[in-house]
Amino acid sequence: MREDRGRVLRPRGRRSGTTTPGGEAIARAADLGFAYRPGRFAVRHLSFELRRGEVFGLLGRNGAGKTTTVRILCTLLPPSEGGGELFGTELRSCGRAERARIGVVLQSESLDFVSVEQNLRLYAFLWGVPREAAKSRAEEMLDLFELGPQRDRKPWALSGGERRRFQVARELMHDMELLFLDEPTVGLDALTRSRILDYLADRARHGLTIVLTTHILHEADRLCDRIGVLHEGRLRTIGTPSEIKRAYRGARTVETEFERALAPSEAEALESMLARVGEGYRLLDRRGDMVVFQAKNAESLVAEVARWAGSVGVDLARIAVREATLEDAFVHIVTEPSGATFPFAREAG
Amino acid sequence: MIVPPVVRLVVRNFRSSIDPITLLVMFGQPAFLIVILGTMFNQLIPHVGASGSYVNFLVPGMIASQMITGAVLAGRIFWLDRRWSMVEQIFCGPFRRAEYLAALLLTTLLFALVGVGIMALVALPLAGLPALSGVELAVILATIALGATFFGALLVAIGSRIRSANLYFTIQSLLQYFLIFISTVYYPVSAGTPTALRVVVYANPLTYAADAVRDAFTHSFGPGDLTAGGVLGSLAAVTFVLAILAFRRLEFGPVQ
Repeated sequence: MREDRGRVLRPRGRRSGTTTPGGEAIARAADLGFAYRPGRFAVRHLSFELRRGEVFGLLGRNGAGKTTTVRILCTLLPPSEGGGELFGTELRSCGRAERARIGVVLQSESLDFVSVEQNLRLYAFLWGVPREAAKSRAEEMLDLFELGPQRDRKPWALSGGERRRFQVARELMHDMELLFLDEPTVGLDALTRSRILDYLADRARHGLTIVLTTHILHEADRLCDRIGVLHEGRLRTIGTPSEIKRAYRGARTVETEFERALAPSEAEALESMLARVGEGYRLLDRRGDMVVFQAKNAESLVAEVARWAGSVGVDLARIAVREATLEDAFVHIVTEPSGATFPFAREAG
Repeated sequence: MIVPPVVRLVVRNFRSSIDPITLLVMFGQPAFLIVILGTMFNQLIPHVGASGSYVNFLVPGMIASQMITGAVLAGRIFWLDRRWSMVEQIFCGPFRRAEYLAALLLTTLLFALVGVGIMALVALPLAGLPALSGVELAVILATIALGATFFGALLVAIGSRIRSANLYFTIQSLLQYFLIFISTVYYPVSAGTPTALRVVVYANPLTYAADAVRDAFTHSFGPGDLTAGGVLGSLAAVTFVLAILAFRRLEFGPVQ
């Protein structure tokens, strides 16, 4: 029998494994809240900091407050309560100097009514990038984001994925210290997404701080040094992806493979045993020699299955407890009753 | 060379937001009116006050109305910026909101001046242009500047509070035609004008602008025009403040 225990793989894009960079705080939220209408808060009691050179992921369901949080931190919206800082300046007092150090890719598409290439160069001009630098950077971005063939087309004539690539490319036309990316990879194919994430990881390695909101959790797992999970406008937890996954106490998946196909009576006996001793047991799949199930006490069930197999004379070929994914942890966090506390919610309010 | 933020925004407004067809229609329409109305009504109306011929009366009015054309174009830029989220994008960048507003108003003024130039060129073969003194030229430019600020800020303030393109462009068209037709751009207010209409015409800031430009053209600029300039300046200041307040409360997110 071979027993695979789940293990943490270092993602290709992540810079420093699972450790959080200990850089200086360049932005801070202190009991931050925002209400679009009096008394109706979109986000509330947010307290966390962004450290130089880290990739910080903001996760949450639709309407959780991710975009509002980004809008407050990039000074588009003034806090309704609490406060915060951007590069040491109180958020409400931030002006041109602070905004000159940030980049923002908004969730909504923005464009000027000129060609893709002219958009890039015009945006660079708006940011005061010298003409020659803008020209060479536009070439770099067109190449990097595979927009070269579309350079003379108008942005609104591009496909959805191309428009998203264009948005990110345009924002990278100027220098910045902190980049906000509000769902930058929506509508992108896997290869393009992977390339963009690699590029962003590389920029982060060179000191760029990134705030990323996304619904693609493995993307966040791969790129982010730390993650904050927002739910109903509150920050439920903050930690490294590994910390959040390790803290997960929900059901985990067990994959079991026997040396031969189970007879129907054997399969029923196994299921009956698992249903009796498994906490929150749920059968996911059963086909011939394979049984896949979920249970909260997955690790202790491994021994139970081995014991059962020995008692009925069936050899186990393989049994593995799948490492909890960020998605497992995320679903657990956002479905727990409000007010539940999670480990690593050190900064979360 | 470091280009000031307002200038960068104005350059961007000119380069990105206005297509040639729109410009042709916006400036072509009043030019067309000078030619057609000027020619046709010139035969019917033998004499109009100090201006003399109708075409001489019409040209200064059309020149003054270019502040509306400029404002409409700037309002259109602002609305498209909202529709395509460029307002948000620019507000996240190294600009103050007041700079964005100032750039819109400067764009209004520049468009208005381009319109003035086009109207003058069109009028030249029809009516000729009077030899203006430096003061008279300054009066015309100041009037255009104040009027452009007033109408530009007004449309921006309205555009800030509306989330529907249909509604915005309907209001803008109504306002444009109401302001131009109920003013002294096309016809003079005389003793025979009904009192109610006269009140409405003199409540319209475009009337003061048209009269001031016309007085400059006929070398009859007087204290009344100074008062009109003061009124126009006050209104421009009020709408500018209104536009700033509207910007502060601007709601982001998708518009229809």
